[in-house]
Parts: sequence; structure tokens; C-alpha cells
Amino acid sequence: MNSNIELTQVTEQLNSGILLLDLDLNVVSWNRFLAVHGDQKISAAKGKSVFDVFPELPKNWFERKMASVVQLGTPSFCSWEQRHHLFELPHTRPITTDSHFMAQNCTFLPFNTDGKLTGVCILIEDVTDVCHYQTMLKQTMFELEQANRMDGLTRIYNRKYWEESLAKEFVRAKRYGNQLSLIMFDLDNFKQINDNYGHQCGDMVLTETANRVSDMLREVDVFGRYGGEEFGILLTETSASGAKEVGERIRTILSNTPITFGQQTISFSASIGISSLNTMQTRYEDLISEADNALYSAKTSGRNQVCLAPSLRMCS
Amino acid sequence: MAYELNEDQQDCLQELINVAMGQASDQLARYLDTFVFLTVPNIELVNGHGLSSTLESNTDSTAVVSQGFFGYEGIRGEALLVYQHKDSDRIADLLGYEPGELSVEEQLIDISSILTTTFLNVFASQIENQMSYSAPKLLAHTQDTVSDYIKQVSFDWEMALKVNINYQVTDYSFNCEMILLIPAAAIENIKMVIDRILEDY
Repeated sequence: MNSNIELTQVTEQLNSGILLLDLDLNVVSWNRFLAVHGDQKISAAKGKSVFDVFPELPKNWFERKMASVVQLGTPSFCSWEQRHHLFELPHTRPITTDSHFMAQNCTFLPFNTDGKLTGVCILIEDVTDVCHYQTMLKQTMFELEQANRMDGLTRIYNRKYWEESLAKEFVRAKRYGNQLSLIMFDLDNFKQINDNYGHQCGDMVLTETANRVSDMLREVDVFGRYGGEEFGILLTETSASGAKEVGERIRTILSNTPITFGQQTISFSASIGISSLNTMQTRYEDLISEADNALYSAKTSGRNQVCLAPSLRMCS
Repeated sequence: MAYELNEDQQDCLQELINVAMGQASDQLARYLDTFVFLTVPNIELVNGHGLSSTLESNTDSTAVVSQGFFGYEGIRGEALLVYQHKDSDRIADLLGYEPGELSVEEQLIDISSILTTTFLNVFASQIENQMSYSAPKLLAHTQDTVSDYIKQVSFDWEMALKVNINYQVTDYSFNCEMILLIPAAAIENIKMVIDRILEDY
């Protein structure tokens, strides 16, 4: 038996594409995989420029890639993770994946005849399956990560993630000398709402609070549920007076519009404490306890108030 | 088992690498159209723990690309290309691509593959061998993920032969470190090859 003919039989049945180009990037030959998936006859493609046969190829990129193989005599690679596909080919799972074209791993190999470089051999592997499952895994990981950060009821950050963010921002602001302010606020007489109208009503107040405040914050602000009816907002690059303005707006949007629960209209409000980064604080917890002190002042001076931390000294 | 190379073997390997580096930098310079400087290589035996603490201590590392290589006579190993933040600004430019033609990840993978395969091809021909390569993989590409990745991987192997080579392209302020790691099972094989070369010499 002729081992070359045997090998050709094998390559014809291979579930990977083999494409042979000459040094001018004209098609020399390909195996059955490419003929079938590319739906083109080799007789028609032979001798034509690869860019005429596969017009979807990014020409500049492809030429530079080939140049590295030819000039350095080294293999080169192209993974689906960076480029989903090079050749627009159909694939074997058109029904059960949402991938339009076959995801591919391509390998470019220098091709020698009698010890002399005469072309480039391109191997094309169908990795649609791998790509599909990897994409699903990534999506799931992302969702898990999100779920792990979120408060189940209010859909804002939970305490753990919020506090981690505060710790990070605290260190960063200290290092770069940036401004950083913290708002802590607590719903007034929340226990009474729960007692009078039930926990479902209480939950609705919490959700409504989270929604209203989220809508008025900047993308960069970090808003989280600190505990029961207490919330925290981290305001990066914001001075105490800026934070006070935000605090006032929060106080107003919460207390100005009551919520409707069944037949009932229920007014609610929050007491708000504000602290800002100064040179005395050494730990992020200092920032929290100063805002908490201010929050306490807001409560004792009649609720529905915004107070600044003792170091900033002011109530309104 | 004694993995250590004796003095002759060490000198011979050093010489093979020096010659390969010279030819590789010449080829790279022609392809990239700029001077490529390679520092004197550092050859040593490391254990898994040693490697992970070396990698971890380099807190500036922002990307690691891995590529496996394998040749005849059981010569095999893994190449790690380690980049620092400031290294990766102008890789597309250096490689001769238009801006926007390829992502930062692809640039890192491409330059890594070129550096690794060019050097190892020349090295292989020095020892009358021929290398094949796996597709290069970006293990991590931010400072956080590099250290996370290193923490997650146990590097649960006993011993490896480590060759460090630093690449510099001053015109593009490009700099990266190539770490070739030959696992214990392949060290014997490379020693046999070196011994044969020493005998012929």
C-alpha cells in the first residue's frame, strides 16, 4: 500500500479543515472538510487568491500573520477566544447553539517542499462546541458574581460587597489624595410601618427607597443596603458640601412622595448622616462611624434631617 | 534522582542558548524591523513553590501567556511570557498591525508566540531536533488575575529546569520576560542530548 494515498484518505475524512496556500497566498489545495463546509469546488478555487475565495478574511491582518510564518519559519495561531472565526463556515450545531458561524482555532504552519519553504498550511478546527459551553460558563459565572453582590430584596449591593468597595476606595482616595464622602441613612420609624401595615408594606418601602435613590445617583457611586433599614452610599471624588447636596435631595425625594400600599397612602422619611475623608482617619471604619454619629444627631434632632459628621459640624 | 546539570552540561546548555539567542534576535530584528536585545540567560533548577513565589513577588506583572512545546527525544516543556503594565502599549505597532486591527489580548498572544517559537526553533536546530507548539494561551491579563491565577494553581511538581531570558525592544519601549520550564521528566532527556553533543565535540 502507498502510505501517502492512505494518509490522503484520512485527511479527507478529518473533521478539521486543511488549506494549503502558496507564498503568494493563492489556494493550492484543501481537504474535503473545506470543500463541503465552504461549499466550493477545489477545481474552481485552485490558483485563485485566498482573498477571492474567502472574501471575509481581514486582508491586512492575514497578510501580516502570513508574513510572520514565512519570514520567521515559525507556526502562528489564532484562537476563537480572540477571533471567533476567520472563515465564514457553517457548523454542525446550527439548531442547538446560537452561533452563526463555526467557531475556529486556526494554526498556520510553514510548508516545506524538499527542505525549501513553498507555502503555508492552515489547519482549521471546529470549536463551536467549546465556544458554546465556555460562553455559557462565563455567563453563569458573571450571574453568580452579580448575585453574590446583590441584596435579594432591593437589588442594590449587599453589605459585604458594599463594604469591600468602601475599603478599596478608602485606600485609593488616601493614596491619591482624592476626595471621598460617605452617606449613611436610616428610614425613620420603620418599625411602626411594619407593625401598622405589615412586613410586605415594609418591604415595599425598602424597595421604593432603593429605586428612588438609585435613579438619582451617578454611575460611579456605590449604593448598598447596610442592614435592616439602613443604607450606605459611597461618593467618590465628592466633597462634604457635594455630599450634603446629595443628602438633601435624597431626603426630599423620599419624604415628598408617599407610597400607596393597597388602599393606604403611607408617608415615610429618612435621617441622613454624612462624613468625608480627612487626614485623621486611618481605617475605612472611621468613615462609617463618623457618618453613623451624624445619623444619630439627625435622629435626635427630630428625624427627616441631614447632618454632617462632628468633624464637619453642621445640621440642616 | 539528581536533576542537577554538571558543570560541563551547564556550560554546554548555556552556549547552545547563547547561540540560539543570537540567531533568534537577528531573525526577530529583521522581521520587526528594529533592534531586539536579549539579556544573558539565567539557568537554574526550581521547585513549584519557588516558581510561584517568584511569580507572585513580581507584583508588576499584568499578563502571562503560556505556550507548550514538544520535540523528538522527549524534549518538552512550557514557555511563560510575563509582561508588565508599561510593556504592552505599542505591541500592535511593533508587530506592524494597524491600530484597532487586533485586541490587546491578541497582541500579547501574537508577540509571545513569535518570541517563543523563533527562539525555540533555532534552539531545536542546534540540538538537531524539531519543535511543535500548542496554541498560546493568555492565562491572565490584569494585575489581579495574574496573582489570583498563581494562587489558584498549586504548581504541584517537584523540580523543573528554568531558563529566563529578557527581551527588550528599546525603540518601542517593549520589554518582556520569557521563562522556559522543562519538567523533571524531560530534564533527563535534555541531559542525554547535551551529553551526546559533548561527546561529539
